Amino acid sequence: MKYGDKIIYIEGIIVEVKDGAVSIDLKGRLGFLKVPMRMLINDYPVKVGQEVGLNMSFVEVLSEEVNETYVSNIEKRNKQTKEA
Amino acid sequence: MAITAEAAKKNMNKVAVVCCRTEAGTVLEASSLEDPAIFPDLEDSGLLTIPENCLKIGEVIGAKVTKTVDSLTPLTPDVVEGIQAMESEEAPKEAAKEAPVSAEPAAQAVSQPAQQPVVQNAGGVVKIHIGEGKNIDLEFPIGLTGAVASSAPAAGVAATAPVEQAAAAEAVSSEESAEAKKMRSLVKKHFKIDKVEMADETKIDGTTLYLRKNICDDAVNVSDIVTSIKVDIIPEENYNQYSETIMDVQPIATKEQDCKLGAGATRVLDGVVMVVTGTDAKGVQIGEFGSSEGELDKNIMWGRPGAPDKGDILIKTEVVIKEKMNMERPGPLAAHKATDFITQEIREAIKKLDDNLVVEEEELVQYRRPGKKKVLIIKEIMGQGAMHDNLILPVEPVGIVGGKPNVDLGNVPVMLSPLEVLDGGIHALTCIGPASKENSRHYWREPLVEHVMKDEELDLAGVVFVGSPQANSEKFYVSDRLGMLVEAMDLDGAFITTEGFGNNHIDFASHHEQVGEREVTVVGMSFCAQQGALVVGNEHMKYMVDHNKSDQGIENEILANNTLCEEDAIRATLMLKAAMAGEEIKEPERKFNPVVKENNIDMIEQQTGVEMDLVANEQILPKSKKRLEIYEPEA
Repeated sequence: MKYGDKIIYIEGIIVEVKDGAVSIDLKGRLGFLKVPMRMLINDYPVKVGQEVGLNMSFVEVLSEEVNETYVSNIEKRNKQTKEA
Repeated sequence: MAITAEAAKKNMNKVAVVCCRTEAGTVLEASSLEDPAIFPDLEDSGLLTIPENCLKIGEVIGAKVTKTVDSLTPLTPDVVEGIQAMESEEAPKEAAKEAPVSAEPAAQAVSQPAQQPVVQNAGGVVKIHIGEGKNIDLEFPIGLTGAVASSAPAAGVAATAPVEQAAAAEAVSSEESAEAKKMRSLVKKHFKIDKVEMADETKIDGTTLYLRKNICDDAVNVSDIVTSIKVDIIPEENYNQYSETIMDVQPIATKEQDCKLGAGATRVLDGVVMVVTGTDAKGVQIGEFGSSEGELDKNIMWGRPGAPDKGDILIKTEVVIKEKMNMERPGPLAAHKATDFITQEIREAIKKLDDNLVVEEEELVQYRRPGKKKVLIIKEIMGQGAMHDNLILPVEPVGIVGGKPNVDLGNVPVMLSPLEVLDGGIHALTCIGPASKENSRHYWREPLVEHVMKDEELDLAGVVFVGSPQANSEKFYVSDRLGMLVEAMDLDGAFITTEGFGNNHIDFASHHEQVGEREVTVVGMSFCAQQGALVVGNEHMKYMVDHNKSDQGIENEILANNTLCEEDAIRATLMLKAAMAGEEIKEPERKFNPVVKENNIDMIEQQTGVEMDLVANEQILPKSKKRLEIYEPEA
């Protein structure tokens, strides 16, 4: 990565808690993040509305090429969603 | 930040750097010095350069600074006077090594107290005084001495180390003669399957397994959450087929009548495994994260304990559950239940098989070995909820009925016999990440349990499963219970393993502390490498074995690639034995370096004379486009 060491402190708000995952809105309308429970560190039970902090960087595209495997997976998923 | 006198003693051989501005004439104490643990970071950022002639902490304490120096100045002979003489590093080691050799003459010396060497333990320093006209006094930090240090306080004020050791050695040898005690045995009867077909009823005929055509119509009814289920039979020639994310790989096995899990006889089908996959009604993967869906032959590390072996016929279920249930606890469980309905029907067919069809009978025996080093295997399993859950001790091997989810048990430690583990006592629901998760089949042939159980030099007391809850407050509750359990067991050593990475490394560290502070030697095993670096650490996390197998040290979405294999079990066992014997284990390097493992393997091969066959990694698989481009662009 070309800009990999640019680390920025970012805050967010927990907006959804499921048994296996937690959703986070990044403050300042900077995006949305959904992570498995075990990627979240919390001292006490997780609740909607709690604020979180994390060190992040910018998201860098690694190569110009698209990855056909992923494209095919995404298309399959979209098709399944449509059928549903 | 200044260090304490205790920390200084531990770090006598580390370089000395002042933590704050120090005026000329100051007599150096521990509080004048910076913590050596932070030097590598300071060096990396260019704030500190250690010159070659930099003095050691042991040399400068009590010495005087001749020139005013700024903070973070490494101390060299030109700015310090009255440098303290330090014993060379080799001396204490030699003394420690020679002690057992001299055990016998020293034992005779009991009647001649004037000649006996005196070991005193005061203020964290062991003082050895050897008489016989030579009058050598040795002083060295307690950490260096291992057995000597721990035996001294136990004996009271002034004990003679060699005598102690001689006595201990005698005790050990007398106990060693105690015979290994057979606790229980488990017979695994293997039946060969080389063909799986759909038919009118589920049955096994010779080496062909027939599955009832309409089995899915009934399997779908096991839970309201399941909306549909499909079964695919995948022989080796169809491995290039697309599959949803693999949630679990399970052996197909059943108990013979009146046999409890972990004892008696188990019947198992060879050459065929159950593979659980699924999505929600909207097509979202049940294991939503870590997209390992794709062509099977590019996404599975064949032959890992938790993965299918190459050539196995896969009975793959594709369970569709209600929308948005993929991340709620009942969702993944429902997918497993629906799959287990099918497995159970096969189990019933296995029960009817004639013993003539058994191709291999494997007897596993659990022994306790009184007098040998008593060790415990602690396996940390996920307990954060939903797919981070495991059913403990179902009635059938890797079944559902009778199994208790560790989340519902409060994630507290649960003790299993090694045979219960190897008999499918853990039904794993874990979903992420594909490369490091331990599937149900992993426990069925858990290499560490198998290896330690067979080791005649160790007394394996049991296997404890401890869940990893979500909140830290719960993590420490669970970890405290583990500590008390270990305390009550009077162990010599323990292994702690975990799967994957994330907040489970917080309890992983806490477990090390709980076990280590009770003076039990502990070896930790986890996938770490580049991506899974530990988030916290403590002084008890000294002996670590990394499960990484991938070339790049990352979670590369290849099922079971970075899980515990026999080679890791061998390394961990030898490391624990060495550590329990008080041998030094080198400090880890600051950054992940695969050479450490290679060197250790070389050492093992040299010492044991046995050549170790290391498992292959993802490089033997056909490369999927994503791996080729994203992870491993070829120059």
